[in-house]
Amino acid sequence: MLKLFLWLRYLRKRKIVFLSVAAVALSVALLIVVASLFTGFINVFEQSAVETVGDVVLAPPIKFGKYPLFIERLEQTSAVKAATATLSTQGLLYLGKGNVRMVSVWGIEPGRREEVTGFKRSLLKQKKSPDEPSFKVSGTPERIGGFVGVGVVAAPDEKTDEYDFDAVEGMVGQQVVLITSAVTEPGATEGTSKLSSLKKKVVPFLIADIVFTGAYYVDKTFIYLPIEEVQKTLYPNDAGQIADQIQIKLSPGIPADVAIAQIRGLWQGFVDEQLNGDPYLKRYTDIETAKQMQSQYVAELRKQMGVLLLIFGVVSFSVVVLIFCIFYMIVRLKQRDIAIIKSCGTASSSVALIFVGFGACVGIIGSAIGAVLGYAVTKNINTIEEWIRIIFGLKLWKSSVYMFSKIPSEVDWSSALPIILFAVAAAAIGALIPAIVAARTRPVEILRYE
Amino acid sequence: MYKIILAFRYLVKRRITYLAVLAVAICVFIVVVVMTVLTGLVIDFRQKNHSFVGDCVVGTESLVGFAYYEDFVKILEQSYFVEGISPVIKSFALVNPVGSERNVGVEIMGIDAVKHSKATGFGKTLYYRKDNVSKAFKPAYDPNLLGCVIGIDLVLERDAKSRYPYGSGPTDIPLAISCFPLNAKGALAKADAGLVKTQTFYYSDNSESGLARVDGSMVYLPFEQAQLLCGMAGPVKRVSAIHIKFKPNVRLEAGCEEVDSLWQSFKREKADEKQAYLLEKVTVQGWKDYRRAYIAAMEKEQTMMTAMFGLVGVTTVFIVFVVFYMIISHKSKDIGILKSIGVSNVNIIILFSGFAFLVGLLGSGVGLFAGWLFLLKINRIEDWLFERFGFQLWDRTIYAIGDIPNQVDAKVLAVIILSAIVACLVGALVPSRQAAKQKPIETLQVTQL
Repeated sequence: MLKLFLWLRYLRKRKIVFLSVAAVALSVALLIVVASLFTGFINVFEQSAVETVGDVVLAPPIKFGKYPLFIERLEQTSAVKAATATLSTQGLLYLGKGNVRMVSVWGIEPGRREEVTGFKRSLLKQKKSPDEPSFKVSGTPERIGGFVGVGVVAAPDEKTDEYDFDAVEGMVGQQVVLITSAVTEPGATEGTSKLSSLKKKVVPFLIADIVFTGAYYVDKTFIYLPIEEVQKTLYPNDAGQIADQIQIKLSPGIPADVAIAQIRGLWQGFVDEQLNGDPYLKRYTDIETAKQMQSQYVAELRKQMGVLLLIFGVVSFSVVVLIFCIFYMIVRLKQRDIAIIKSCGTASSSVALIFVGFGACVGIIGSAIGAVLGYAVTKNINTIEEWIRIIFGLKLWKSSVYMFSKIPSEVDWSSALPIILFAVAAAAIGALIPAIVAARTRPVEILRYE
Repeated sequence: MYKIILAFRYLVKRRITYLAVLAVAICVFIVVVVMTVLTGLVIDFRQKNHSFVGDCVVGTESLVGFAYYEDFVKILEQSYFVEGISPVIKSFALVNPVGSERNVGVEIMGIDAVKHSKATGFGKTLYYRKDNVSKAFKPAYDPNLLGCVIGIDLVLERDAKSRYPYGSGPTDIPLAISCFPLNAKGALAKADAGLVKTQTFYYSDNSESGLARVDGSMVYLPFEQAQLLCGMAGPVKRVSAIHIKFKPNVRLEAGCEEVDSLWQSFKREKADEKQAYLLEKVTVQGWKDYRRAYIAAMEKEQTMMTAMFGLVGVTTVFIVFVVFYMIISHKSKDIGILKSIGVSNVNIIILFSGFAFLVGLLGSGVGLFAGWLFLLKINRIEDWLFERFGFQLWDRTIYAIGDIPNQVDAKVLAVIILSAIVACLVGALVPSRQAAKQKPIETLQVTQL
C-alpha cells in the first residue's frame, strides 16, 4: 500500500518523471511500427504468393501431358481441395501505336483457377458476376479472349500511385497482339544432342478483362490466356493436353508437409503409370508450398527487420540512461523520505523495491501509451502517408518500389508484446542503481539535527 | 574565462554528466554507422546510374523513337562542351537460346560500343572486352559472327560473396532475338515472319553495370542490327535516345541547358519535315532526372531513416535536460555566488550552454571515433560473422551489393555532430534559464547553506 502511495505521489509531484514515460512511449511506438510494417509486408508478400499460385505448386522441369487425369486424382485425395494446371511462356505484347511490353503468359483454366486462388476477385469486370470467370468477350464468341494485368496496359499515376480504373476498363474488348515462340520440333530431354526448333508465332486476342491483384510485379508482368490456346500456340504438334505446372489448394486443416508427401506419392505413381516412368520428371519435380518458394526472400526480410530493430533497440538504450538519471535525482532529493521510511523499520530490500517497482510502473505506463500510439500510427499508416504526400509532395510508398499498392497496416502483436516487456524490464533496470542507492541510505546520517 | 573554467569543471567533477555524454555517444555512433552505410549505398547507386546513362539524354519513351537524329548529332559534335555522343535504340525483345524451348523477354539497347563507351561507362562494365571495347560485339570464338553483350544476371548467378563464376571466354551460345518492328506511326511494320523480325546473335560478352534491373534484363546489340530489328532503319532513320557526356569542366545543369537550347532550335528547323511530329515527344534530361524514378526510392528511404533517428534522438534531448536540471539544482549556491558578484543572467545561460556544447562535442567525438572504428572493420566483421554463423547484412545472391560502404562522408559527419550539439543545447535550454532566474538572496540565505 505504502509503495503504491509513494509511486502515485512521485508520479504526480515529480513532473520530470513524465519525460521518462514519454521517452519509453516514443521508443515503444517506433519499434512497434517498424516491427508491424515489416511483419505486415512479409505476411502480405506470402499471402500474395498463395493468391497467385495456390497453397502448393508442383513444378516439373519440363512440360508433361495428361494433366486432367492427374488433377482428377489429386482432387480425390483428402489433402487437396482443388487443383489447376498452367502452361507458361514469355512474349511481347503489342498494345497499340508505339506501345510494346514484355509479358509473362500464363495459359490457365479460369474456372478451376478461381477455386484454387480466388482469381475472380482480381478481375475488374467479372468480380461481381455470379458466374465463374470466363475468357469470352461479349459479341465476339468466336475470337480468343485474354486477361491482361492492369500494369501491362497502364501505369499508376506518378503522384497518387493509383490506376485510372475507368480508363483501364475501357480497354476491355480491344484487340492486342502477342508474339511468342512455338516449338515446331521438340528437343531431347536428356542425354542426346537433338535441339528444339522454334518458330515465332503471332497471337492476336481481345482483352476480356483486366487483372488487378495489388501486387505490382504480377499486375505489370502477367497476361492470361486459355490453356488450350497457349498449348496450340506453343506446341502445335502435340495432340494431348499439356501443362508445365499444377497449382493446388489444400483442404482446410491439412498440414503442408503431410499434403506434400501425399502429392509427391501420387505424382510418382502418375509418372510411372502415365508418363512412362520418366526419371527426369520423377527426380527433378519440385513440390513446394507457395510460402516455401518465397522463403529465401522472406528470410532476408526478417533479417533486415531484426537488424533495424537492433539498431533502434540500441538507440533506445538511452531510455535506460534517462530513467537512471531521473530516478537518481529523485532518490537524492527524497533522501529524507527514504530515511523516515527506513527509520520506521522498512527493510532496505523493500525500499529498493519501491524504486524498482516505480521504474517498472513508468515502463508499463510508457509502454501502454507507446502501444496505443504504435497501434494508431500503424492502423492509419496509409492515411499518414497520403497526408505527407499532400503536404510535402513526397510519395513515400510506391507500388513499383515496394511491390504492393497499400502499406500493410496490421499491428503485429506477437512482435509488440516482447517489445513492451523489454521496455518494462529496461525501465526497471534503469531504476535499479538509484534503488540500491536508496536502499543504502542511513537514516541516522540523513535525519541528524545538524 | 570563468565560464570556460566552470564548464570544464562541471564536466569533469559531475559524474552524472558522463551519462549525458554516453547517451550522445551511443546516438552518434549508431547514426554515423547507419548513415554512412546508407549514404554510401545511395552514392554508389547514383554513380552507377550516372555511369549507365552518361551526363545527359535526349530521348523519348515511345518505342517509335525520333527521326533526324544524325543532323542533331552533327550539331552536338560541333559544340564546345560535348565529349561523347551515343545514339541508342531501345526496345523490348524476345530471346530464344537456339536449340532450347526457352523464351525470355528482355530489354534491348542498340549501341555503337565505342561511341557508347565515350558517352557512358559501358566499356568498364564489360568483362572479356574491357580493354578493347571496339570488339565488344565480336565473339572471341569467331569474330566474324554477330555478337551481343548480355546483362550479367541473365547469364550467371552471383555467389554469396557477390562474385560471378566467369569462364575463360564466352561460350558459343546463339540467341534468336525477335522484335516487333514499328513504323514511324507506331504501327506494326511488315517484317519477314509476318509482324515479327528475328535475327540470330552470338554471346560475345557480359555487362555488369551493378544495377540489378539493368543487369537482369538488358541485352546490348550492335546499333545497325538493333535499328533494323526495331523497324527504325527506314529511309528516314530513327533512334530512341542520344546519350551525351560533357567535357570535364562543364557543369551538369549548364550542359543540359545548352543541349536543350540546341534541341529547341533544331526542332524549329525541322518543323516542316515529314516526321517532325516525332520530335515533339523528345525531352532533354540530365542523368539525375532521367533515372529519378529509381534514385528517388533510395533517397526517400534515407530520408525516412533520418526522420526515425530524429525521433529517437529526442530521448537524448531529454537526458541532457535531466542531467542539467540535476546539476543546476545542486549548483544553486555557485549560481548564487556568481550572480552576487555581478554575473548577468545572459552570462549564466551562456555558461550552461557552453557546458552543454562541451557535452555534445565530447559525446559526438566519442561516438564518432567508435563509429569510425566500427566502420573500418565492418566488412571484416561481416566476413567473420558469415564464416562463423552464416550471417550477412545483405544476402549477396539477392542484392547487387558488394562490400558494405564504409567511406565516411565529411558532410554527413558535420551534420551529425551539429545535430548532436544542437540537441544538447536544446536539452540544456530550460535548465539554463531556470539557473539564470535564480535569486542570490534566496539561494545564499543562511538557512539554505
